[in-house]
Amino acid sequence: MKTVDIVERIEGEAKLICQWDKEKISDVKIQFLNFRGFEFILKDKPILDALVYTPRICGICGQAHLKATVEAIEDIYKNHNEELTLTNKAKLLREIGLNIEIIDSHIKWFYMFIMPDIVKFSNNSLEEYSALKGKKWLEASSIASETIKSLAVIAGQWPHTSYMVPGGVVSDPTLLDLVTMQNYMDQAIRFYENSLIGTNLDTYLSFNKSEDLYKVKGDLKDFITISFENGFEKIGKSYNRHLVLGDSLSFEKGKISRKLTKNIDYENIEEFTTNSFDIDKSKVSKEAYTWSKTALYANSFYETGPLSRAVVQNRSFVSDIHKHYNDSMFTRVLARMDELGFLLSKTKELIQQININEESFIKPKVSLKDFHYGIGQSSVEACRGSLYHDVEIENGIISKYDVITPTVWNLGPGIDNKLSTSQKAIVGIDSLEKAKLILRSFDVCSVCTTH
Amino acid sequence: MNNKIKKPKIVWLQAITCNGNTHSLLSANANRLKLFLDSFDLVYHPSLTTDTLLNDLLIEKNEIDFLLVEGAITSNKDFFQISDQGINEALKKLVLKSKYLIAIGSCASYGGVHQKFEQNDDICGLTDALDETDISYLTHPIINLTGCPVHPEWIFQTLFSLKEYKKVPLDEKGRPKEIYSYLAHHGCTRNEYFEWKVEAKSFGLKEGCLFYEQGCRGPMTHSNCNKILWNDVNTKTRAGMPCIGCTEFDFPRNNMLETKKNIGIPDEVPLGVTKRAYLSLAGVAKTFKIDRLNEKIIK
Ligand code: SF4
Ligand code: SF4
Repeated sequence: MKTVDIVERIEGEAKLICQWDKEKISDVKIQFLNFRGFEFILKDKPILDALVYTPRICGICGQAHLKATVEAIEDIYKNHNEELTLTNKAKLLREIGLNIEIIDSHIKWFYMFIMPDIVKFSNNSLEEYSALKGKKWLEASSIASETIKSLAVIAGQWPHTSYMVPGGVVSDPTLLDLVTMQNYMDQAIRFYENSLIGTNLDTYLSFNKSEDLYKVKGDLKDFITISFENGFEKIGKSYNRHLVLGDSLSFEKGKISRKLTKNIDYENIEEFTTNSFDIDKSKVSKEAYTWSKTALYANSFYETGPLSRAVVQNRSFVSDIHKHYNDSMFTRVLARMDELGFLLSKTKELIQQININEESFIKPKVSLKDFHYGIGQSSVEACRGSLYHDVEIENGIISKYDVITPTVWNLGPGIDNKLSTSQKAIVGIDSLEKAKLILRSFDVCSVCTTH
Repeated sequence: MNNKIKKPKIVWLQAITCNGNTHSLLSANANRLKLFLDSFDLVYHPSLTTDTLLNDLLIEKNEIDFLLVEGAITSNKDFFQISDQGINEALKKLVLKSKYLIAIGSCASYGGVHQKFEQNDDICGLTDALDETDISYLTHPIINLTGCPVHPEWIFQTLFSLKEYKKVPLDEKGRPKEIYSYLAHHGCTRNEYFEWKVEAKSFGLKEGCLFYEQGCRGPMTHSNCNKILWNDVNTKTRAGMPCIGCTEFDFPRNNMLETKKNIGIPDEVPLGVTKRAYLSLAGVAKTFKIDRLNEKIIK
């Protein structure tokens, strides 16, 4: 038996084609049928214009793309032995901006994208979570829009600003601006405490073993209860291999296959199009079924995202839960909400570290147009996982721009009989509804996946 | 709330988009968003509603009051399919049931960023994607709410105005006049620097205007960004990023973060000013060396 289902209420649309055998999914294809051609759009454009274009790859993780672009450009300078000096203030302002975007995304994701489906599995009717009307939905959208104001203070607006430029950032916040940002963070922390976890943030951050799950209250407790009632801690398991490409003050890079290593080499990243469409129709293989490419690290599939970040960095609460329940759907969702708390506290700390007397921007001495040829690479942690940009320029004009988004790692097609991370997580499941939930647990963004 | 009065029905369709306009909407002032949700019936939004699928809408006969479209249109099914059909097919079916058609953002209006994907040569905005028969049932010309993304307040103001007054005056590019007669320049906190021709020495400063070096399009861009502010708190130009003209027909242009010049003079001068007039004015203004404007604001 075969079923085809359209999944909406992700960012964009996906199609889930399941093959069934004895009431279980024996094979699954995840199709993304929209393609916007950003890598083609970027070609032949002046390199600095990439700062305007790449945020528009995605309306929800645009700042991650911006940071990846600016760092790839700075890498071009570095490869020419013209390394740019960045002040600590500029570095902080960039990371804070990105973190706020992740915070905003995590709030929206939980309340708008996953809980409305999770509550369908509950024995109680949880009307408060219903979309557009429910008290919790409205509260979450309200706090998300308040939170993002703290980014607008330094970036001018959100979404779609290009406030990071090679050499620093364009803005120069005052002390009062910083306090305003802290205030918005505090508001978000209150929401996290009062609504999501029902306890004090510091208390929560001291949780370090899976038994502490019982101490969680609030809306996250609803999630935990429903999960254990339905066995979500047993489903959605994949390879349990984790990858974090980006390095920052908030996250550590590294990978776990059997054991953890902090050594990451971009040389090990490979992208394949065996099962993907090609814009040149004559090159489309018979197996092609999606616009997403396949990304492998050292020839293997890896999961990327909040769960991977937590275990690579060994944040104790999630790491212990992970020891018990592996990379299950439950762990994956919980890790994302745990990261929300972690980032709220971290980002507040980073704002406190800013010294307003430092420069925001130090003008590069040479123009990119003066480089006959240049290459640069970068990687940052976006809300959904590791984002990688790889750019090549000739006389200041882009000759090649390659982007691998987090969702390509998680949701791209398998290859050579190897299932991809999300395929592996879905195969063996006994209901379409659960399969869709597992898909959602990866925080699907169709627009990023195909870009 | 009087439940007997039927709320106008809104359908939000997503075409070729980055979802930026959706997230702009979700970042609206919370009270405004709540009032909007109370006053209209958002029956379908692919990322927000849970009960209705696009397919249901296409099949059912019911009328739609406001059809909002985010993203550019293409007839090319190889690149873009939604619920098993081309986005242009879905669009046409829905337009025939709708009273008002509103383009949400620059992509839906004119093709925007997505139109730059030249390998698919029929990406365009709503007006170009539809012909007269398609739009024959609309009670109002297509409204273009440009911006990349569009400001959420522009969406609210337009919808509430239409609900109340049934029509809004449009400029020659289909944009509501009351929003797009302003320039992004109006209300920018750097205006005094602009007047006295004091340029920002570099990025990263509170002081100076971004027109002379950094490519600011504020004086040529129709939008009221600096009048209503983004996320209630700021704008790009106030923060220090040049306006890139995202509400205009020609967005995105090339070299957006620098000012194109000819023998030291900006190639394009503020709307309605001749180059000669601008030059003599600039010359005079520059002779006034106003210390205050050449120092740090906060010392
Ligand atoms: S920065 Fe731009 S919008 Fe502001 S005053 Fe200068 S030209 Fe006008
Ligand atoms: S200031 Fe200019 S670039 Fe910015 S949003 Fe407004 S019109 Fe677009």
